[in-house]
Amino acid sequence: MKVAVLGAQTTKFGELWNNSPRALLKEAVSGALEESGLKISDMDAIFVGNMLSGILGGQEHLGALVSEELGVSIPSFKIEGACASGGLAMHQAVLSIISSYYEKVLVVGIEKMTDHKPEETTSALMGAGSDEERAAGATFPSLYALIARAHMEKYGTTEEQMAAVAVKNHYHASLNGKAQFTFPITIEQVLNSPCIAAPLKLLDCSPVSDGAAAVILSAESFALRNKKQNVKPVWITASQVATDSLGLAQRESLTSLKAVVSSSQKAYQQAGIKAKDIHVAEVHDCFSIAEIIAMEDLGFYPKGQAAKNIFMQKTRLGEKLVINTSGGLKASGHPVGATGVKQVVEITHQLQGKAGKKQVKGANIGLTHNVGGSGATAVIHILRNI
Amino acid sequence: MTISPVKIWRNQKKIQKLIGKEGKIVSHSLVYVPPIGFENEAPYPVVLVQFKDNKRYLAQLTDWNDNNLKIGQTVKAVLRKTRNAGDEGVIPYGIKFKPI
Repeated sequence: MKVAVLGAQTTKFGELWNNSPRALLKEAVSGALEESGLKISDMDAIFVGNMLSGILGGQEHLGALVSEELGVSIPSFKIEGACASGGLAMHQAVLSIISSYYEKVLVVGIEKMTDHKPEETTSALMGAGSDEERAAGATFPSLYALIARAHMEKYGTTEEQMAAVAVKNHYHASLNGKAQFTFPITIEQVLNSPCIAAPLKLLDCSPVSDGAAAVILSAESFALRNKKQNVKPVWITASQVATDSLGLAQRESLTSLKAVVSSSQKAYQQAGIKAKDIHVAEVHDCFSIAEIIAMEDLGFYPKGQAAKNIFMQKTRLGEKLVINTSGGLKASGHPVGATGVKQVVEITHQLQGKAGKKQVKGANIGLTHNVGGSGATAVIHILRNI
Repeated sequence: MTISPVKIWRNQKKIQKLIGKEGKIVSHSLVYVPPIGFENEAPYPVVLVQFKDNKRYLAQLTDWNDNNLKIGQTVKAVLRKTRNAGDEGVIPYGIKFKPI
């Protein structure tokens, strides 16, 4: 399987009170189109990743909204899978191309979250959980706190090791002008930040964010004959999705996400590579513990070994395998529907050698890992530049 | 987000089967930033409990203190008001766990 990424762009992520969702999506889409050398009128279809526009903004029917805003009348779909909405939109777009039904498509992920008060966004995000979890007053930080406590109990993972994830990702974000937080932090600052859901503290958690990200995809044959694009295409060589129970109580394990294990193994097989072949990855660090478990479930470290390696800075810029060069969800920001698309934008720019100060030297193969809910949906993409 | 009285009524059948069941805490958290309807209760503990039949259930811990918010604590499922009644005025009852 080979699908080309012809253009990729994100807006700045953050508290963007001056920018409407329409302005954000237009900015991301025009950036991606410019890289590809194509026009919106060249597109055959649009796939929109979004979770909360209905429940927070009262606006559904985003497929038509996006095509209206961009001035086209082509097929357009909203794809929803909680925080994996962007990744799922990517997957659907890839399928539409490998089925040969469409040749050139736009994927755009968008979320506007900071217009609302914390209780409203917290409740809206719980739409991704189960009835049982909502009745208990559980929140996403508390669900990942339950996962963290179980991981600490089983493997001796410490709060300092979890804090090291946030410290690394803030360092990477300090090199990314589009990140929400561009300042470095220390382990002590994480440990002393206010408690959100014990044992997770404010600086263990990704923020509430606004932002959009867009990519232009095409069939391999089109990419090879297209002379208009300004940059070399990057190739998607695997796209896999798996699901699990919505609620934590129905899972086989609390310390591993089964959907991530199965989708990543299928992705490695589809791309004909192994975990050790990856040079750079964007993983779904909605909470610090999530990056630790992702590193194990993706096969980068044996179970129980990731936390200490992250603490020893083995996944920081300059090392062999670099994780979350964008700053991850933690520091680059987490506009939920945009995240899965932003991960592909970051890996694309890394593989094109145009990631600036955060460039991983010699990166040829990259991976994205996008998770919905507390692990009920997992989406893996593998990209390469040769 | 309003709570449908019909949904509350339908859920009673499920809740009835859980009342009185005993199990052990397998993981826990203390929620400081609550969703809508739980603003007056924070901070409150949310626990994941494993019953003797190995099934698990997630709910709040009630009548608790610092000594019994721990992994391995034995608890029993009890009926409690779970959140503020919305504009409908129907009080949502559900499962909470009580240390024993």
